[in-house]
Parts: sequence; structure tokens; C-alpha cells
Amino acid sequence: MNFELSEEQKMIQQSVERFVQENYDLSNRIKISAEEPGFSKDYWSSMAELGWLGLAFDEEDGGFGGNQIDTLVVMEQFGKGLVLEPFLANVVLGGGAIKRGGSELIKQSILPDLIEGKLQVTLAYAEEQSRFDLEDVATSAREESESFVLNGKKSMVLNAESADKIVVVARTSGSQVDENGISLFLVDANADGIEKENFPTVDGLRASEISFKDVVVSSENLIGKKDEGFEILRAVTNDAILAIAAEAVGAMEVLYKDTVEYTQQREQFDHPLSDFQVLQHRMVDMFMEYEQCKSLLFRATMETVQDPVLSQRTVHALKHLIGKSGIFVGESAVQLHGGMGVTEELRIGHFFKRLLVIDSQFGNSDFHLEKFTNL
Amino acid sequence: MDIKLNSEDLAFREEVKSFFEDNKIKPGEDYFSWRLGWFEKAREKGGWDVPKWPEKFGGPGWTPTQHYIWEQETARANIPFDLPFGLGMLAPILMNYGNEEQQQRFLPDIRDRKVNWCQGYSEPGAGSDLANLKTKAVLSDDGSYYTVNGSKIWTTLAHVADWIFCLTRTDDSGIKQQGITFLLFPMKQEGIEVKPIITLGGSHTVNTVHFTDVKVPVENRIGEEGKGWTYAKGLLEHERTGLAGLSKSLVELEQLKDNARSIKRGNGNLMDESSYKSKVGELEIDLLATEFTELRSLASAAAGGDPGPESSILKLKGTEIKQRIQKLTVEASGIYSSAWGDKGVGPAFAKSGTGGYLNSRYFTIYGGASEVQKDIVAKKVLGLTKGSSK
Repeated sequence: MNFELSEEQKMIQQSVERFVQENYDLSNRIKISAEEPGFSKDYWSSMAELGWLGLAFDEEDGGFGGNQIDTLVVMEQFGKGLVLEPFLANVVLGGGAIKRGGSELIKQSILPDLIEGKLQVTLAYAEEQSRFDLEDVATSAREESESFVLNGKKSMVLNAESADKIVVVARTSGSQVDENGISLFLVDANADGIEKENFPTVDGLRASEISFKDVVVSSENLIGKKDEGFEILRAVTNDAILAIAAEAVGAMEVLYKDTVEYTQQREQFDHPLSDFQVLQHRMVDMFMEYEQCKSLLFRATMETVQDPVLSQRTVHALKHLIGKSGIFVGESAVQLHGGMGVTEELRIGHFFKRLLVIDSQFGNSDFHLEKFTNL
Repeated sequence: MDIKLNSEDLAFREEVKSFFEDNKIKPGEDYFSWRLGWFEKAREKGGWDVPKWPEKFGGPGWTPTQHYIWEQETARANIPFDLPFGLGMLAPILMNYGNEEQQQRFLPDIRDRKVNWCQGYSEPGAGSDLANLKTKAVLSDDGSYYTVNGSKIWTTLAHVADWIFCLTRTDDSGIKQQGITFLLFPMKQEGIEVKPIITLGGSHTVNTVHFTDVKVPVENRIGEEGKGWTYAKGLLEHERTGLAGLSKSLVELEQLKDNARSIKRGNGNLMDESSYKSKVGELEIDLLATEFTELRSLASAAAGGDPGPESSILKLKGTEIKQRIQKLTVEASGIYSSAWGDKGVGPAFAKSGTGGYLNSRYFTIYGGASEVQKDIVAKKVLGLTKGSSK
């Protein structure tokens, strides 16, 4: 058992931390978020140049041969600045699916460009009726000679506006909620028959509703085996849970530390707010939740690296705790900042919004508690 | 003790219901003229336009049960919007501490919904510790007017208000609860600058207000100079009990259940999922109890006594209940709770759900943060002297 990061990981951690400190003050973030395309292309290029996009990919695909721990290191620091660049959509979701199931041809045509920041890929899996159930897939893929024809609608697709390619989860056989019969396809984001409705999300990011009408995909663009895509989808979304949990831990650290600092400065009743025991205890609770989340994050991530199947229960536990504690820490930070906490002017509200969104992504707190207790 | 409504109460309920039914807005009717007409007709019913005002000032003189019925029915019916500042906050101060000239000058316009008021209390350095306020009012040498300088914050709807009732400091030589003076003055004049504050839900309701050499005639002072804190404190109590809005929460809870039932899960819906159902159930149980806490409080006030100790928990419980309803709406929205902006994706209720939740965080902060409320309960009700706001 060893909790030490490697020398390389420590260097990456410091370099991401510095990047966030130098580039992600609140006003700059608000500015970048409001302008098209909702992130900074310059920052994205820098991230590629610094090698961050390739950390978790295999060396033969142009990466550095790392794993989920490297992603944790990056995402935790990203969480401290609420970084807007589409690392999750590209590296963890779209790239993660291709890494796991893509043919050599697909990997070679996509991953090196993705790692260099030249090409963007995302994942479309959720649907209106599916809520958090990964296996609930109504979008259909009908096989016709050398191709598949996609019909249906996908929801809350992250970063679809900027994506060149979309990994689409569709049903090739079975009933709507069967784990078997799900397949993944690599689709051009602007293929005939695709319509996107783009919108901002609560946390200042972007998402889209996408409809597919008779979209033709060549059989070569099947990712993984036909009907057997569910295991890839589950592995990718587990990685996504680890990634956003790391981001949440970074955000929670900012929230509890900002709150401690603010209550030491703000005076009411002729005392700094931090003198009041009831507020002290609330801050201790925030700190405890943060530490516990960090522990479970480390546990779930290390277990996943060890054995991604056996770790499933811990991943459910992690997402439950992150959702619940993240909102507790966010609500507490707002409450202890008083009126200032509910304004757009301080950064804590923005961190709170991101934690709120994190709870709604890849299954909320209730959903994962149910899965945890049933496994 | 008897929970049954007597025949008079039942008749009253029917009368209220049919009044709302008869005076509904008609398709195509202008909202604002309908609104004024509605209050006029309510007035003809015998003070139904000012249900909480004492009979002496034109109120209906209802029993607690009648008030309860009114609250329930108004929460269900689509009655015109009303703002609390003039009607519920300033009016009781004018009635208790204003002179007759002031009552005649201000109360009729408040009653007619002609003048919009805002409340100038909190300041950047005076939030929970309201008595710490610093906005200065200096009396002129001839004693005819005050000159006001300073800043207020969290001023709700200051950008559309015609008048402000404002706490100012006229003396800082004593303890800080002394030397506070209660002034009324128009908002649309030289020297007043209103700046919006955008809240987390993305909306503009509250503002900062800056005063530079604003002149206020001495006739616009309520009561004596330096006694404003006493007057405001009575009003704050009013604000604290008036904020609970439990009947409205009951209606919102029913809406929440309907929304959750519209989310299909397998062969059932979200209300069949045990974790969600339990949270809704716990919320409803708290609401049932809190509703009767309010009724007990109303009854003891009507019997001529002070509101009992139970009234002190109404704001704490009522605001927390409202926040939980908002949170469960967000949870019901599922993946769509993160969508932002006007377009709206997913179920219709998801569109305003998250903004509503974010803004609801304010409920446990304004009108006395929950931590301060608990200090007050500890001190005043339980007699504990080592509370933090000694």
C-alpha cells in the first residue's frame, strides 16, 4: 500500500496547479464561458502541448501509458479552478471508449489527433427516458449490408457543439433495457441526419440534445463487438465517475478553505464570524466531508486500476458520497457566506453549481446508493 | 380541542372559493387592470384586500381559523401577486408608531397598491448584526430635514420601488441599538443610485442602493429620533413569521408529487422509488407538523397573548421545508437538472427547477439567518445566556 504519487505525477500535479492559478480566476472563467465555443482553444492547445491529453492513453496510440490515477491528478487540480476545457468529454468519454473498443484503424485515425488537441470526440449515451440507467437505450441501429442506420435521440451530450466525432450508444438487438444488444458507433458529428440543439449548463459548460434520423454509419466504425458494447460503456462511465469525483474533491477543497478564510475576515456582533462555535462546527463538518470524499476517491481509483470489475461497488459508494457531500459542502459554504454566498460575484457559488451538476451526472447520490446496496 | 370546522367556517370557505372563482382573470384581459380590479372587489367584501390589517384600519377581523382557510385557498387559487413591503412590513409600523398625519398620508396608497415600497435595512457591514448599520442621517440646523449618506444592500426590488423605509444612524455615541432613526423617502430622486446584484439563479431581484446627500423632510421620520430600532424590531418579528408560507409549500408539495409521477421508471414512476419516496414522505410529515405549529401560534396571538414559544421555530422550519421542495424538484429532473437557459430540455418543470433551488438557498439567510434565529430561540425561549449573539 502506497499513497505517494510518482515523480512524474507530482510534476504534472504542480504544472496543472500552476496553470489553474495563473489562468482560472473567476472573471476570466466567466468571460471564457460566455464566449464561443465555451472554452479557450489556446488553453486546449497548451494542455495538448504539455502532454496532459495523452496521459491516460497507451504509448502505441500516442499516449504516455498512464491510467486513472493520472486522470485523478489532473482533474483534482482542474476542480480547483472549474476548468472549462473539454478534458472529460474527449479524454475520458469519447477517447476512453475508443481506447477500449476501437479497431486499430479507428485508434490510429483518432487518438493521436485527439492527444494533440486537433480533433474532438465526445460520447452520447443518455436518453430522455433513461434517467441514470445506462442499459436503457432506445436509439436503434439497424444493420444493412456494410453499414448501420441510426435512429433516435440522445440527451445531455457534453461538448457536442465542438466535437468532430461522437461515440453513439445504440441498440442493435434485445429489449430497451437489456444490457445485451447495445453497440457503440463512431459517427461524424455533422453527418447527414444529425440535428443538434445546443445549450449552456448550470455550471457554465455546454451540452446538446441530438437527434439521429436515418444516419448511416459504416460497419468499420463499430466500436467493440456488435451487441457487446455495454461493458465498454460501463467501464467508460466508471472512469468518468472517478474523474468528476476528483474534480469534486478539488472544488470542495476550495469551498471549505474559502469559507474558513471569509469567516475570519467578516465581522458581525463585534467578532469575526469564525469566533462563533456553531459556524466553527459547520466548517469542521465541511472539512470532514472533504477528507472522507478524498479517501474514498483514492480507494475507488486504486481499486479500479487493480481490478475494474471488483471495484464496481466502491465506485458506486464514491459517487453516492461525492453527490451528497458535495452538495452539503456547497450549501454550507453559501450559508456561511450569507447574502454574498448567493451572488454571482464570489467564486463559491460557481463551485457550488459545479458540484450540483456533478451529482446529476452518471447517476446521482440516490441512484448509486441503491446500486451499492444491491451489489 | 376540535379540528372540525364549524358551519360558519365551512360557509366562509365556500364564500372565499366562489369569490376567487367569480373574479378569475378572463382570457385576453389585461393583467394589471384585472389586478387592481380584484383588490377593489376584495375590499368591497369587507377588508379582504388587507386580510392581516386590524379592523380599526379596515381589515376583516377574521378568526385564526378564517385566516388559515384564506391562506389555504389563496395558495391554491391564482390570485394576483402582492408584495409584502408596504402592506405587511411598513403598514404595521405606521399603525403602531406613525402619527395620524403619516397614517393618512401613506396607508391608503399602500392599500390601493399604488406605491411600491422597498426595505432599507441591511448594509455591507450590517447583515445578521443589523444594529451595526452605518448609513448616516444628519439633522439640519433648523431641524427641518435630514441629510442621508451611506449604502444599503440586498434591497429587494429597489429598482422598481417608489419609496423606501430606511434605518439610518443619527447617533453613534451609545450602544449600537440606540441612535437609529426610521425614515421614509422617495426612491426616484437625486443622490440615490441603485445597482443590481445577480443571484445564483441568474435573476435580478436584489440590489445595492447608495445615498449621497439625500434630503429627507423631518415629517418623514417615524416616531422619535434614535428609537428606530424598537420600531424595526417589531417589524422584523412580522417578517420572520410571515416568511414561512406553509400553505404555499403544501401546494408546491402536491406539484412536486405530480412532477415526480410524470417521470416514468420501469412500469411505475419516480414516486415508486423508495429513496425518493422516503424523502418526499419525510418532507410531508414535517410540513404537517409545521402547519399546526403555525396554527397554534396564530391561536395564542388571537387569544390576546404574545405568540407562544412555538412561533420562534416557524421561520427555521418553514424555510428549510421550502428548500427541500426545491431540492427534490432538482432530483426529479435527473440528468436535465443541469440544463440552463431559456430553451428548456427534458420535463417542463426542469426548466426553472435548478434556478429555483439555487435561489432558495437565500431563504435560510435573509430576514435573520438560521444560525441567528437559533441563537434567539436559545436565548429568549430556552433562557440560555451563553449564546453567540449576546
